[in-house]
Amino acid sequence: MLQLSSPEEKCQQLLEPPYDEMVAAHLRCTFAVSNHDFVEAYKCQTVVVQSFLKAFQAHKEENWALPIMFAATLDLRIFANNAEQQLQSKGKGKVGDMLEKAAEQLMSCFRVCASDNRAGIDDSKKWGMLFLINQLFKIYFKINKLHLCKPLIRAIDSSNLKDDYSTAQRVTYKYYVGRKAMFDSDFKQAEEYLAFSFTHCHRSCQRNKRLILIYLLPVKMLLGHMPTHQLLKKYDLMQFADVTKAVSEGNLLLLNEALVKHETFFIRCGIFLILEKLKIITYRNLFKKVYHLLKTHQLPLDAFLVALKMMKVEDVDIDEVQCILANLIYMGHIKGYISHQHQKLVVSKQNPFPPLSSVS
Amino acid sequence: MAANAAQQAPTPNWPYGSNSSGEGQVHENPEWEKARQALASISKSQNSTKTSPTNRTPQQAGPYQATDSSAVQQQQQQYYQQWYQQNQQQYAGYPYPYNYYYPMPPYGGPYPPGQYGVQGGYQTPTTPTGQAPAMPMMEDQSSSYSSQPPPPATPQPPPQSPTSTDPMMQGYNSGHIRPGYQGYQAPAYQPPQQQAPGQGPYGGPGRVDAKKPNNSNMNKGGQQLWQRMKQAPGSSAVKFNVQKRPYVMANHTFTPGEQAPGLASPTATNPSPGSVAATSTTSTGSAQTRPQDWPQAMKEYVQRCFTACESEEDKDRTEKVLKDLLQSRLQDGSAYTIDWTREPLPDLKPKQSRWEPVPQRSQENAIGRGGATRGRGGARLGNYRNVFSQRSPSSSSSHSSSRSPSPHSRHRDRSRHHRSDSGSQSDSSMSSDLRLPLSRRQQKAGRGRGAERERGRGAAGERGRGRGKANRGRRNMEDLSSGIGKKRKGGNAGLDFHDPNREAKKQSRAARFHTKLRTEPLVLNINVFDLPNGTQEGLSWDECPIVGTCQDITKNYLRLTCAPDPATVRPVSVLRKSLIAVQTHWKSNQDYLYACEQMKSIRQDLTVQGVRTDFTVEVYETHARIALEKGDHEEFNQCQTQLKALYKDCPSDNVGEFTSYRLIYYIFTKNSGDLTTELVYLTPELRADPCVAHALELRTAWALGNFHRFFRLYQNAPRMAAYLIDKFVERERNLALRAIIKTFRPSVPVEYVQSSLAFPDLDSCLVFLTGLGVIFTPSDPSKIDCKVSSASLTTS
Repeated sequence: MLQLSSPEEKCQQLLEPPYDEMVAAHLRCTFAVSNHDFVEAYKCQTVVVQSFLKAFQAHKEENWALPIMFAATLDLRIFANNAEQQLQSKGKGKVGDMLEKAAEQLMSCFRVCASDNRAGIDDSKKWGMLFLINQLFKIYFKINKLHLCKPLIRAIDSSNLKDDYSTAQRVTYKYYVGRKAMFDSDFKQAEEYLAFSFTHCHRSCQRNKRLILIYLLPVKMLLGHMPTHQLLKKYDLMQFADVTKAVSEGNLLLLNEALVKHETFFIRCGIFLILEKLKIITYRNLFKKVYHLLKTHQLPLDAFLVALKMMKVEDVDIDEVQCILANLIYMGHIKGYISHQHQKLVVSKQNPFPPLSSVS
Repeated sequence: MAANAAQQAPTPNWPYGSNSSGEGQVHENPEWEKARQALASISKSQNSTKTSPTNRTPQQAGPYQATDSSAVQQQQQQYYQQWYQQNQQQYAGYPYPYNYYYPMPPYGGPYPPGQYGVQGGYQTPTTPTGQAPAMPMMEDQSSSYSSQPPPPATPQPPPQSPTSTDPMMQGYNSGHIRPGYQGYQAPAYQPPQQQAPGQGPYGGPGRVDAKKPNNSNMNKGGQQLWQRMKQAPGSSAVKFNVQKRPYVMANHTFTPGEQAPGLASPTATNPSPGSVAATSTTSTGSAQTRPQDWPQAMKEYVQRCFTACESEEDKDRTEKVLKDLLQSRLQDGSAYTIDWTREPLPDLKPKQSRWEPVPQRSQENAIGRGGATRGRGGARLGNYRNVFSQRSPSSSSSHSSSRSPSPHSRHRDRSRHHRSDSGSQSDSSMSSDLRLPLSRRQQKAGRGRGAERERGRGAAGERGRGRGKANRGRRNMEDLSSGIGKKRKGGNAGLDFHDPNREAKKQSRAARFHTKLRTEPLVLNINVFDLPNGTQEGLSWDECPIVGTCQDITKNYLRLTCAPDPATVRPVSVLRKSLIAVQTHWKSNQDYLYACEQMKSIRQDLTVQGVRTDFTVEVYETHARIALEKGDHEEFNQCQTQLKALYKDCPSDNVGEFTSYRLIYYIFTKNSGDLTTELVYLTPELRADPCVAHALELRTAWALGNFHRFFRLYQNAPRMAAYLIDKFVERERNLALRAIIKTFRPSVPVEYVQSSLAFPDLDSCLVFLTGLGVIFTPSDPSKIDCKVSSASLTTS
């Protein structure tokens, strides 16, 4: 019954500014949501956040309103998301525009929190930073503006509270920072953050754990850690099963098939390009098998060409074999050299295929 | 007189500024009281000397007159000194203040005749030096003042002139007196008396800074300084009133009129001080028009105005009004043509309203001044109201103050008012001169005003003495500590502020129990928010389509800065011809600059008309290709962005081609995020497109470091993809070469590198290799010594 189309007057009679504005906007927002008008809801929610911020800023050395901010900003992002979808379905608006505007609002909240240097640790608004950052991460990842995350990460890195935020917030934060590290090809850090996120994520949050695994698995595989079949099954990630099998077996053919088969899923998760890099690992494992079969340190390049053709790699020739080998050697997956004159790969007698975890 | 000329030359502004700030101010403080007193006295004396001020004035007047008559600054100074001495003698307590203050008045007096001349000389010095010395002066007089005055002073200066302002400011700040002193002293005193040395520099610079106006200002400056000073510290109403009035008077109408009358009669008659002040103010400030030149009728009118004043406040108001009125009248020459006997007396109240807090006092001062000046003339100003309303503020006040105050009154007034008023006066002067600046000043003035008012009121009866004493006391205070202004302010604040505070406290107390509800109706400005959607831009063109009428095939591109004119926009039918013309021209001439401009103008015309058809796509595709061929990536990306949007509505056969360009461009920028996003939206149909398929293969090869495949695809790139790959082919070659050199042992033939990295010929490959510092095998130049080269490569 409180979903009113024009609650301004009543709010004005009962509440002093800026709370009257905030409540009025909220009521209008609920009215809009009940009508499934998320564009209107988003606009109202923007007013809610703005008027809240006015009051919040006036709370000197108090942070009791943080939970309100969390609720208001979370709603803001959700409404922006829904509004954008509504606009898109009508063919209006530019992708990401709504979310970007919402991000601006969140940033204004963030600035208020981050600049609260006067209050004591217990009353500091800085306790609201990580929540806002996580909301901003969600937006930035959605609109593909990962570069905007950098200052936020720096703010947390330099914060003395970074280990004292709630576990839930830290799990979310590390999840996004880990993802960003993965896209930046910093797989070591990505593994660290995502592993933290996975192990600290509450057991009841299976969906979240699955989301974390989607990014943790490729990173782990790139670093040579293959997931068990059991794990994949538990989290309903069997799309990775064939990939895992192909990589560990050096089965390039199976890998290509698996990637094609689940391409849509992998692309939507944004990990297709990462999984593609598993091909290099697969080459390594394949060539390692060749090495074990030939049991010599001087391997004719033709042998690798045969292996690649067996994997049905199209249009492959001896020059490409040299190219692939050159990359593997260059990246440290194979210890040895190529004799162009003799068309042979000469590998180290000791540990010619060092463990993946020691590479990269 | 030179000064006058200089002032005049500066133009009206100067006179105003100088008068108001300089003379008016200077005189104001002293003048105020003096002026009031003088006015009163004058009127009384002339008509029938009445109040005590008049008595004083006569005494003072004597010296003033002498000074006036001498018109020499030195003389004035001497006079001033004399006056001071006299005053001091008269007022035992006042001596110090008077000395300082008096110097100020002397300036006013001296300025007009002698001072101006002197000032003229000073002008050259420039403010900086003058200021510097001035500061010391200030300090001497009252360090505290100096500190305070600066703020107010600064604001004041602006109106007149930066340089002058500074000095003024300083004077004001420093405690009005100091700045005033310095400035005043410098001009007036320099030659004659002790102050001369200190003043000399001060005056010189300060005056100089003041600029030409400064000269007048300088002269006036002394006064102004005083006024400002007073105002600044006193900024309160009292000060304002006094200062303003004097300023006004002295500055404009009054100065002239007053001076003229004052000078002529004053010297001879009662207000020697008043006359001096008047003369000084008039001469200095009135550069525009000398008092002597003023029509007698106007002088009489001024006197009438002041005569009509019943209180000092009225006089202050009248002074302001008269200043404005007379200034304007004198400037436009109507002063000499209108029938002054019929001119309605100024209505003081409206003016007061402006200054409200200050006005009364300022008006009073002005009136007093005007009265003084007028008094000299013969009658009080009472009748002038109307006249003044326009001109009065600056001129009337300044003149009146300067003039009116007989030596005694001036001295006293100045000493009192100057300092005490200095704040207030300065404020008032400020207000008159610069209303905007006033805000600050007014605040200060408000405080000062209260004091001034009080003083003025209290002094009103005693005027010269009471004010003088008060001023002196204030002056002393200022000199000793921070300044009268502060004290005044404080005092005023006490008076004025109490009420607001109480109310505020009441409200805050009440707020504990009552929610402070919004008074304005609450309106959620939800609709104010721009829709995050980009619909606005689209709508702007789509909703108000234009159909061009221009028939020119070619048209130069101009970035639109306003709504397009259909007469300069070509319709699509013409644009089709234009496109063909550009394509033909491009093929035959390869003139990219021309082609790009023509394409941009075509694009603009399409955009302006909201045309989004296949033809639009064709235009953008054409331009994109041309830009790609010439490596203009800025234009290319613009076209790509437009094409991406256009393809949603107008699919083209070339979607695959330009999609592949986009993919390749992401490779170039290594933007894996956008690349992933792009992959998401690749439909199976698009993937089957040869261009897209090639781009995808290229991407895979690039991602895996498979340079062999990458360069093979580069060599077989469809359409214009190779132009795009050219952008980063060097980068990829570099990476590949590093892998090759690290991998092959002991050597690798150049020929292999050439074929693997898709060099068109051996020479270009060798150029590339040597450019990277690759070492070739000594025995066989056709082979690269990988081991040696890897070392040199890693360092490069």
